[in-house]
Amino acid sequence: MSTDTIHESTDGESSLISWETWDGIKHTEWFVSLSAVLFVLLFSYAFGRAPVVSDLLRGYHGLAITVLIWSIFALGFNLLLGQTGLLSFGHAMFFGTASYASALFAIHVYNDPLVVILVGMLAAIVLGVIAALLLLRLHTVYFSIVALAIAQFLYFLAREPLVEITKGINGLDVPRVPLLGLVDLEHEYGGLLGMLVVNNLYLFVGVFFVAVVAFITRVRKSPYGLIFKAIRENETRTAFVGLNVWRYKFAAFMLSAAIVGLAGGLMAVNTQFAGVERLYWSVSGDIVVMAVLGGLGTIAGPVIGTFVFFYFKGIVNGFPTLGNYWLLLLALSFTTVVWVYPDGIWGMITDFTAALRDPKALLAKTKRRLAGLSPLGDSTGGDR
Amino acid sequence: MSIDGIVGFLFIALSVASLYLLVSVGLSIVFGSLKYVNMAHGVLYLGGAYIGLLIASSEQYGGLLSEFGQVGLDWGFVPALVLTPLVIFAVGVVMERFIAKPFYERDLLDQLLVTFGILIAAQELVAIVFGRTGTIYPRPDWLTGAISLPVIGTPPGMSAASTIRVLVVTLTLVLIVAIFAFFKYTDYGLAVRAGTEDSEMTQMLGIRVGRPFLLIFAVGSAYAGLAGVLGGSLFNVTSGIGMEIIIPSLVIVIMGGVGSLRGTVIGALLAGLFFATATELVPSMTRASIYLLAILVLTIRPSGIFPSTEIGQ
Repeated sequence: MSTDTIHESTDGESSLISWETWDGIKHTEWFVSLSAVLFVLLFSYAFGRAPVVSDLLRGYHGLAITVLIWSIFALGFNLLLGQTGLLSFGHAMFFGTASYASALFAIHVYNDPLVVILVGMLAAIVLGVIAALLLLRLHTVYFSIVALAIAQFLYFLAREPLVEITKGINGLDVPRVPLLGLVDLEHEYGGLLGMLVVNNLYLFVGVFFVAVVAFITRVRKSPYGLIFKAIRENETRTAFVGLNVWRYKFAAFMLSAAIVGLAGGLMAVNTQFAGVERLYWSVSGDIVVMAVLGGLGTIAGPVIGTFVFFYFKGIVNGFPTLGNYWLLLLALSFTTVVWVYPDGIWGMITDFTAALRDPKALLAKTKRRLAGLSPLGDSTGGDR
Repeated sequence: MSIDGIVGFLFIALSVASLYLLVSVGLSIVFGSLKYVNMAHGVLYLGGAYIGLLIASSEQYGGLLSEFGQVGLDWGFVPALVLTPLVIFAVGVVMERFIAKPFYERDLLDQLLVTFGILIAAQELVAIVFGRTGTIYPRPDWLTGAISLPVIGTPPGMSAASTIRVLVVTLTLVLIVAIFAFFKYTDYGLAVRAGTEDSEMTQMLGIRVGRPFLLIFAVGSAYAGLAGVLGGSLFNVTSGIGMEIIIPSLVIVIMGGVGSLRGTVIGALLAGLFFATATELVPSMTRASIYLLAILVLTIRPSGIFPSTEIGQ
């Protein structure tokens, strides 16, 4: 990807930097990582404390942390569905198991946020290996439903038979301790940093978020990640090329499990609690809704989807009349997206900007629309 | 275990199996023949439960209906049992035409996602209209208590089983035999089977496969609606029951082998037996038992007990 050649724009605009350069930059890894850093720094501020915007959004800092953690979850889920084309309807199993593992380790063995999160990830990886052996023999819907069955099994297992360990529906409390014994997560900053990130907890989660984004971008750009895409497009053909499909599916599954495990561990540290409801099917369902609503197979999509979901759940929920209907609206939007616009919200945004960039085509399209003809080249969402 | 205990145990197993079966049958046929995976089938069960409730009794609901006081026709249990499947049959017709049909040609995963969204939306709608608290079916006198059954091998002795469970099992038995007969001996069933084999060729022979498909979809829907009434009278009714029933039912269909009605029946029976055994021996494992069973079965046989069609493989 050469980004250092600046083309003269040919469409009559005399700008120094042309669209081609921007397109080159847009897809580089460092740009994505930098965007993630900027997003983390500005998100909580814009959402919770910026002068005009936050009044409109009515957000708050705590919700910003939740959105970041669930974004990690959605990104991990998307690695499996968006990249490899495997729809798991049971990803709550990794989230909940990692949460429990973190909490149990913190209570019974040793409590340090970093160590605890690593233990959560490890637990998710171990579960991932077991689940993969059963699941990866199955295809499409079979895979989805059996993943759901495993998650439900763990949910009911944690709820009743293992009540001694998990404390059933009361859950486990995780005491909060300083990071590495030095850094207090509750510590609030002053000045500009305080304005942007408020406290160490946000920063702590934010670092993981950026790391996950950078890692997933790395995977997506690598030849290894391209094989995931090949499997999504046509598994049989990938096998004919001579690649061991099972191995790559297994790798994708494990990466996904580890990232979701990370989110589960972070959740236990963030809420100081691990409960059985994190294994329930609704968690798996929510994450599917988030990823699909935002836009599959992208980095920005799942994050936007997560934000929209929690915006409805945390804020629209509190509105006087509309609040009663938040989940209904969300479910209907989700259904509509799957039905007519599989690229999701992020797909809409990119399509819109692309249309803005090419005003002539947009004009022609609008004219055709007005003339009552269907626009040419209707996207049927075939690039999933 | 005494003979009473054994009969009671059997009827718990069979009644649970029956409920799952009534829901799974429609799912299995639609999934096997029409290659359509329908999570919105749970909406039909949920709708059946609430429509049955509206017909059978008049209750004070929460949600938007809270202002209207007692809502319902209060006709009793039997009219609910007869009328609900008819109403849900019509709902099934609408569902097939407007939700399922546009998706027959699309990806299985798209179908799963869309129907999942519809199920969530429908559950939420029910929660908004009827409130989020559970309701219990009022049982008529003749359905409470136990019924005496002549048991083979206990000459003059009679054994007891709960009436409602006997009713559920008997009804299911009749209906399952009916659907098997429909498939085997009627022209419509033949058309569906032919359409499953090769819908293009069937259409070229001048058979309209659209209508048989629609009929079989709606019949499966009516079964699910009836299951809603029966399930509602065994357990309580909340807005979340659609999802609660659809997960085990889908698991049963996959465990039995997609496209095989026989497999679905065996799967449901196994699930019921597992459920009842767990209730007897390890009560805490009751809810987890069916998933454990599915995991075990699919570990041994990845394509189910009776694999017949090759969907998505």
